[in-house]
Formats: sequence, C-alpha cells, structure tokens
Amino acid sequence: MTPALPLADDLAAKPPEVLLVDDDEVNLLLTAAALRERGFDITESAGGEHALQLLADWAPDIIVLDAMMPGLDGFATCRRLRAMPGFENVPVLMLTGLDDDASITRAYQAGATDFFVKANQWSLLAGRLQYLLRASRTRIELERSQAKLARAQDLARMGSFDWRRAGSAGSGGSLMLSAQGLRVLGHGPGDHVSLRAILRLVQRGERRSVLRLLQGVAQHSSVLATDVPVSLPDGRQRIIHVEAEPEFNEHGHSVGYTGIVQDVTDRRVAEDRIRHLANFDSLTGLPNRRQLVWRMERAIEHARRLGHPCAFLLIDLDRFKIINDTLGHAAGDELLMEVALRLRACVRHSEQVMEGALEAVGSRAHRTLEAVGRLGGDEFIALLPEIGDERDAQRVADRILEVMRDPVLVGGQECFVTASVGIAIFPRDGTSVADLMRNSDVAMYSVKSQGKDASAIYSPQLAGRGREKLELESALHKAIERDELVLHYQPMIDVRSARMVGAEALMRWQRGNTLVPPGDFIPLAEESGLILPLSEWALREAARQARLWKNSFGFDHAISVNLPSRMFERSDLVDQIHQNALTYGIPHRMVQLEITETGLMKELQSVIPSLHQLKEIDVEVAIDDFGTGYSSLAYLTTLPISELKIDRSFVRDLGVTPQSSGIVTAIIAVARSLNLRVIGEGVETLRQMEVLHRLGCSLMQGFLFSRPIAPDDLELWLKQTVLPRRAPWIGQASELDVGSPAPRAALGRPY
Amino acid sequence: MLAMSHAPHSPPAALASVLDPVSLQRLHELDPQGANRVVERVLRAFETSLTRLLPQSSQALAQGDHEALRHVVHTLKSSSASVGALELSRCCSDIENRLRQMQVDGLAERLAKLNAEGGRVLAAVRSLLAE
Repeated sequence: MTPALPLADDLAAKPPEVLLVDDDEVNLLLTAAALRERGFDITESAGGEHALQLLADWAPDIIVLDAMMPGLDGFATCRRLRAMPGFENVPVLMLTGLDDDASITRAYQAGATDFFVKANQWSLLAGRLQYLLRASRTRIELERSQAKLARAQDLARMGSFDWRRAGSAGSGGSLMLSAQGLRVLGHGPGDHVSLRAILRLVQRGERRSVLRLLQGVAQHSSVLATDVPVSLPDGRQRIIHVEAEPEFNEHGHSVGYTGIVQDVTDRRVAEDRIRHLANFDSLTGLPNRRQLVWRMERAIEHARRLGHPCAFLLIDLDRFKIINDTLGHAAGDELLMEVALRLRACVRHSEQVMEGALEAVGSRAHRTLEAVGRLGGDEFIALLPEIGDERDAQRVADRILEVMRDPVLVGGQECFVTASVGIAIFPRDGTSVADLMRNSDVAMYSVKSQGKDASAIYSPQLAGRGREKLELESALHKAIERDELVLHYQPMIDVRSARMVGAEALMRWQRGNTLVPPGDFIPLAEESGLILPLSEWALREAARQARLWKNSFGFDHAISVNLPSRMFERSDLVDQIHQNALTYGIPHRMVQLEITETGLMKELQSVIPSLHQLKEIDVEVAIDDFGTGYSSLAYLTTLPISELKIDRSFVRDLGVTPQSSGIVTAIIAVARSLNLRVIGEGVETLRQMEVLHRLGCSLMQGFLFSRPIAPDDLELWLKQTVLPRRAPWIGQASELDVGSPAPRAALGRPY
Repeated sequence: MLAMSHAPHSPPAALASVLDPVSLQRLHELDPQGANRVVERVLRAFETSLTRLLPQSSQALAQGDHEALRHVVHTLKSSSASVGALELSRCCSDIENRLRQMQVDGLAERLAKLNAEGGRVLAAVRSLLAE
C-alpha cells in the first residue's frame, strides 16, 4: 500500500520526515515499520531526552510522541520542544492510551497539535499524520501570505481594522487595529487605541464633519469611504483614507465594520501636484486655459443667478513674436513672466479656487474667481466675475495697457511691449464661454488691425469683419498650394527715353472669379505669418518671369519684389535669391527688392546684415514709400541701398500744394547726395510727370504709364503702346528738356 | 529462520490460545516479503521487553511503587496487543485502570494472573522464534 501524499510539491517529492519517540521497543519497531511502509521517512527515538538531542540540529516535518515514557515523558518533551526556536508550530502528535481523557487534556496543554489513541490501526495513524502535515503546510503558507500581506500593507501604508458596535448603551464600541493599522495611525504594534483617541487625531477643523459622517454611516449601516486629515501623535500631518464595509449577524443586524486605513498623503500630494499642473501654466504660474474655462463657467453661472454682468478681457501682446524671434525663447519666457506679474496686479487675482468653498461662502464667493490667466503663447485673459457695467471692464483694460507700456528688461535689454485688449461682456456679448471667448477675440483683432496698443469692446459689427477675416485667412493658406496667386507687373519708366527700365511685381490673389487686391490680404498675411511663404513664392515667380521676358523680348532689367522686413531678417534670403537665379538662369541683379521705409526703420539692426550680403551678390534694394517713415539721414548714408521710391502721397499733391514739391525736392536732393536712384510712384497725370521731371526725377511709375498688369499684357502693352510711341506721355516726355543725367544707362531698346 | 515470516499459516492450537492469529497476521503484513525481518525483530524485542518487565512488575508491587507498576503495565498493554497477546494486554489494561482510579485492593491477585499469562506468552513467543 502506497498512499498518495497529496502535500505540496517538495513534500510530495520527498517523503515527510517523522520523528517517532517511544520508550517501548516493540511499539517503536512496529509503528516505524508500519509508517515506513506507508511512505514516511521515520527516525526512531527511544526517549524524550534523546529526541530533544536529535532536534538540536534537525527539524522533522512532524513529531510523534508517546505520552507515557520513563524519564522525560511525552508531555514534558512536547513542552520543552515548543520552547525551542523554530519548533513553535511543528505538528506534534501525542500517542495516548484508550479512554485516557486526562492524557488528552494534558497533551493539548503541553502544546501537542493532536492526539492519537494507540492501536495497531496503522492506516488511521498514517492518515492522521497526513492530515496534520497538510494542515501544517497550509499553516506555513498562510503565515507566509500573512507576512506578505503585512509587508504589502506596510508598503502601501495600509492596515486593517475591525470595529464592533457597543452592546446597548456603551459608546464607541470596540476597535481592533492590525499592527500595520496602528503604524498608519502613528502607534506602536502593541498599543491599544480607542475610537475616541483616533477621533482626537483628526485635525480640529475637520473633527466635527468627520464625526457627523461616521455617525451617519453607522446609523444607516452604509459603506464608509473617506479621506481624513490627521495630526499623528508625533506631530506629522497626514491624510488617511478610511474604507469600511458593515458586517451583519445572522439576523441581519449590523454588528460592526471591517475595513482598512491607508496613509494616502503622498498620493494626495501627487494628485494635488497633478491638479496644479493640469490647471496652472508652468511658466507663469497663472491659471491655464483649462482652469480659466472652469472659472469662466462658474462666473457665468453666478452672474446669471445673481443677475449681474461679468467681463472677459482677452489680452494679446503686440510684437511678442518679434522679441521671441530676435532675443530667443529664454528672453521671450522672461518677458511673459514679467507680463504675468504686471497683469496680476491689475485685478484682484485669486490663486486657487476650491470647488467646495465656492458653494460654502455664499453669494460673494464668486469674487474668488477673479484672476488673470494665460491662454497660451502671448495670450492672456482677465476674468472679472462681477462688474457694474462695461466702464468697469474698460477701466481694467486701461490699467492693463498702462502697466504694459513700461519697458521690460529681458536678456539685459529694454523691450517695449504693448498689448491689444478685446473685451466681451456677459450677457450682452454672449452667454457661453465659447461665445464670449470668440467675441473678445474679435474685439482684440479689431484693435490689432487698427494699430494695436489699445482696447476695444465687442460689437456685432466687429464680428462680421472678424468672421470674414477668418475665412480669408484659411483661404489664403490654401492659395499658395492651389496656385491662386499671381504677380502683376507695373512698368517703371525713364521718361527721358520713354522706355521701360524695370517693373514692380505686385501680388494678386485670383480667388475664384475675383482678383483680390493686395491691400485686402497682405496685412492679414503679415499678421498670420503667411507673408513669409507668400514672399518666397513671389521671389521665385519674379525670377521665372524675368527669364521668360528675357527670352521673349530681351528684357535685361530688374523685377522689383516687395518684401516685408521679416524676410530680410531671414538668413536664407540670399540663398533663396541665388537658388532662384540659378534655377532660371538669370543674373542676380534681375531681381530687385523693395522694403518700406517704416519696415526698414523698425527692424533696422536685424535687416542691415542682409542688405550687405545682398549688395555683395549684386541684388539691389529700394526703399519703398520713402518720406512716410522717419528715416534718419545718418542711417541712410551707411545703408547699402540703391534706390529711393518717393511715396505716392507726395506725388499726388505735386502741382497742387507747394509743400509737396518741397518734400519731393528734398528727397531728390538727398538721393542725389547719397548717389541713389530716385523714382516717383503713383504718377497718374501728365502734370505730375512734368513736375517730377522738372524737379530732377525722371524715373517714374504709375497709372499714367500703366496699371499693374499680367505679364502677357505687359508684353502686349510694350508692343502696342511703347514701341509705336503712341501714348500721350511719350510725346510729352520726349519734349522735356532735362539736364540731369539719367541714373541708369539709356537704353537702346524701346521697352 | 522464522517460518511465519515467509508463509502465513495457522499456529498450533496451544499457541493460538495465547497469541491471536489475526494480530500475528497483521504483524506479518507489515513486512510481507520478510525483507526487513520485522516480525522476528518485533517478537525478539517483545521477548526482551517481557523478560525485563515481568520481574519489574513484581518488584514494583513489593516496593509499593504504583507509578512504576503503572508504567510497566502501560507499556506491556500496547506491545502485547501488538503481538497478539490479547489476554495479557487485557490483564495490563485492567491493572492500569485500577491504578489510575487508585483501586489498590486485589492488585496482588491480578498481578499474579498477569505473570502467569506473561509466562505463557513468553513461552509461545520463544517457540515461535525457535521455529
């Protein structure tokens, strides 16, 4: 008979080791033989003393003791071995005589695990041993898993508790906390802690509400789950999560609760941090878009309930991008931080709003919503949760504009930033966050388009324009890809020879069937940054056209392309021009650049390097709209430029107001002294042409000669008007007697 | 060699009245092939034990040492049962119970009976071992 020993793996693999102790040799022999036959590994011992000696350096899986032995009997042996370290839980089976009740009791008292009445029923004995071994095994596993649980609870700063309701009148009931639970609450493993003592740990302000919560839960036998701030006996402030479920007796009466306590302080701190990160801008520390939207929603709710207006001020920095691009992102960040500080001072900025507090403090609580936040980039919002009327909002806007005007020191350099502020007021300008945001945006854009550094309150008229603009902007984005852009050309004429000496390229947008004039989309392109890809395209297109004209009628002059100052700040401008010239096989000089005087002066320092590089590769630069900006002559003398273009406003008044001819005379004198070409723009009448010419400027462009026209039309115009010398200005021009030398070589050909 | 360890067969009638055949059979089953000579070793151990304990019991009674007597009968009780000396085991059990209940009267007669039965068992065991 080989009984299966369904014990755990290692025990199944190797027979269980049994220490068999019996003073009677016959019994010892018999029992050992019987058990060996049933798969046990038996070590025999004839007495208690001998057995204990064996146990000094060996631990069997189970010990079988004969109760009655001379010398150290089974009971004494059991008692002694239980005191030995490592033998506290080894299963001990005591062999007793039949009907020996006294021995059975003594066996248990001595620490035996079980008893067995001596008999020759070996199978029963073997079965009992197997049972004890299995129980022992289970016990070992349980102890291991309890140790693991304790360890896990320690790691999780968690412990369990058990609370029994008080009998009838008693208060508090009885509370049992596991060692880990005690540690969570700052007590040692042996401490006895009452519910009352634990409640005293709850932070003073919270005690009443915690007590109320506990009473409510206990009353309804509902589930408890709450976080409680406590001050532990050692003074540490912690947050303890308590979770418990009610227990019921067989009658369905709640008898108490079992649950866990867990120190969740670290988690809460992390959660708070996450919440803060999610709601506040990391650079400026101001509420971010998400937090702002939340506050705006609350503000609208309150305003609606209490029937007062509230205001949103959208604040957008002017020129921020330029500072970021020229001084670097670090400087840009520095600037934003300073701006944030200044803006905060303009409102009663509340750092944090607690959701609960908002309900609790009552009708004034919404004031804590007041704040300045950062929407992103250089956009900020000031939220005024309660205003009397729009004048309140206007006052705050004025204050904002005022504080922004002080120079800001970033990267060791003084910068001037202004802001454009758009105001939208609930409920007049919108009743939802989305509406109010959009409308404050519309108002802000209207400020931008009217010269910035101001504020505007939303009005429906603005909205119409705003929407149009938005559509335009997205359409313009696609215009380049869809080849909707075209260049038209206005010839430049030397009236002395009545010949074309160049052409200015002007961008047109063929949008469906309409030709959009530059005034309608260039400012938008500048604002949105689209001006850069547009300009790059124009440079390429002009080079291509120069090549075509060179082929078709021997064109050998320059096509002028208007570029924004931003293009001049780009280091790859020269490369681009070079690449285009290479692609179309034209000399660099066939593309000329124009920059407005205002643009040039505004970004002078960053534009100058490009001007020098351009001069080196023979690309000439003209200053457009000359006379309208505030160029200092001192600068002009040092700039590597080739041409001044007299602004059309002066040309228009020529022969009408004496002042205008004075200005033109002065410009021509400057040009001459600096050895620059000068050209008059916007010449529409013969009279203007005559005066200009008389003052010493023979290069002109304007409607008198030709409007800007498509390239094919320009060829046609040359062929049909200039070549046959049919236009009225040609006769006039040739009659003019001019002494001044032509700045450009006279041309042998008629275009 | 002990014949019983090889092939179980009914012991002589005289022997059977002293040693229970069923118990002996069960003893034999512990080592059916006789590889460990269990039956022989058990019987020898019992013989040794009985030879030692029977005089001890008389001595203990003479000295009035009930505790020593009790130990003797306790030990003999189970070992005699093991080898099938059931009557001897009953005698031991009877004396042990009386001692536990402090009934010391009639102890001498019972002990005499135990010794007589012990002598018979010893003879039977020896004859078995001699086979």
